[in-house]
Amino acid sequence: MNIQTMHTADMTNAEESLALQQAQSDIDSTSATDVAMQNTLLTPRFYTTDFDEMDAIDVSPVRADWDALIDEMKSDPNKGHFKKNEDWDHVDWDRMEPGLRKEFIDFLISSCTAEFSGCVLYKEMKRRGTNKDITQLFQLMARDEARHAGFINDALREAGVAINLGFLTQKKKYTYFRPKFIYYATYLSEKIGYARYITIFRHLQAHPEHRFHPIFKWFEEWCNDEFRHGEAFALLMKSDPKLTSGMNVYWIKFFLTAVYGTMYVRDHQRPAFHEALGVDPDWYAREVFTKTSELTKQIFPITLDIENPRWQRGCEKLQRANARIAEGKKRGGLGGWFTSTLNSARAAMAFAGLYTIPVKRHVVPASTRLEPAY
Amino acid sequence: MGLITKEVERAPCTVEISHRFESLHAHVRFSNGVTVNPGDEVQVQGPEIMAPFGEVVSEEREAVIFRASALERFWTRCTGDLEVMELCEFSFSEEVTL
Repeated sequence: MNIQTMHTADMTNAEESLALQQAQSDIDSTSATDVAMQNTLLTPRFYTTDFDEMDAIDVSPVRADWDALIDEMKSDPNKGHFKKNEDWDHVDWDRMEPGLRKEFIDFLISSCTAEFSGCVLYKEMKRRGTNKDITQLFQLMARDEARHAGFINDALREAGVAINLGFLTQKKKYTYFRPKFIYYATYLSEKIGYARYITIFRHLQAHPEHRFHPIFKWFEEWCNDEFRHGEAFALLMKSDPKLTSGMNVYWIKFFLTAVYGTMYVRDHQRPAFHEALGVDPDWYAREVFTKTSELTKQIFPITLDIENPRWQRGCEKLQRANARIAEGKKRGGLGGWFTSTLNSARAAMAFAGLYTIPVKRHVVPASTRLEPAY
Repeated sequence: MGLITKEVERAPCTVEISHRFESLHAHVRFSNGVTVNPGDEVQVQGPEIMAPFGEVVSEEREAVIFRASALERFWTRCTGDLEVMELCEFSFSEEVTL
């Protein structure tokens, strides 16, 4: 480990400290682009959960699959993948269309924050838990997330965006999630993440002229990490059948609807990004939902009926309401308040409309494990 | 722990920030084994810790833990779940326009 020996906090007088700060920022900017670095403070959230409940997880019912998955993760198949090699083409950030540049940087920062937050969450679970199966899993997942975050951070540096990790000395509040909500949300997030990355990767394989940044070339192996993380959560849920039956099926439906709905809305807010990729966001949403639904059949007894005509209409309503809420907030005043309140109600109605579409039920297979096949 | 009164305690901690290509991470580890509960707030004391690109910085610091009151802890346990969607990754920020 490369531990830095000198630090501003070790300094006893202000001049020394300032000189070191200056030297450090010189190192930082000379190794990056010539563009003045835009400083972005990373603001991950901090969570706690019921660690006793997590420690009580017993993976014995899925032991064989569990051990095989952990061994695969320990062998670290992506160890050598996140390196820049000759495939990393030069990116001309100055000539990138400004609208696309903005949206793409939003993509990189959001993705980096998400990976980083995942790392913080997984590491906290690793540290607070005492169940060896569980702590080992979270340690391995934290490793992957930190690696992904580092890779995206480097792409950001090329774009002249410096990530500031100074958030630790700010006051931060720890919020609380029930373990089962963490499983549903992170399981879905990892699987939909896999589906999103592989869909873009395959699309760009067929249409390389749309690959406006080399990072997309790394998506294939990258998303296999997401896939494996999802497998681990699937096995965790398999070890306790209560998590996927009874009233919890309503929670599963809620998470599926919320995750799909949010993805639809957010993707439609980034038209330049999708246009540059040559991807129609409606086509993309459908592809990703179909793949994710197919994958989640491994553990969830229901999938959403996205073929129901109410689904597409509902997503569009949700998207319109969301845009108008923002419009109202931006406008301000009584009129703006009225617009955003009215549209918040519309968004809630649209969500309720999506939630009440009858689901498709199916039999969950006895064996949970899947291999990435898209 | 009081129902509505907050308690403040101090704990030594190790802060590790890695700003390397191979790994971007940051963690605080309390050295005396104290744990943080729902609604507690933590602030690491001292100046902002900077890790230049390519470096891992590890520092011994003191953290102040602002313990949530019993009521606040209860409230955080009840309402925290509402924010659980934050755990999902959507590739983009929630800003409608940039």
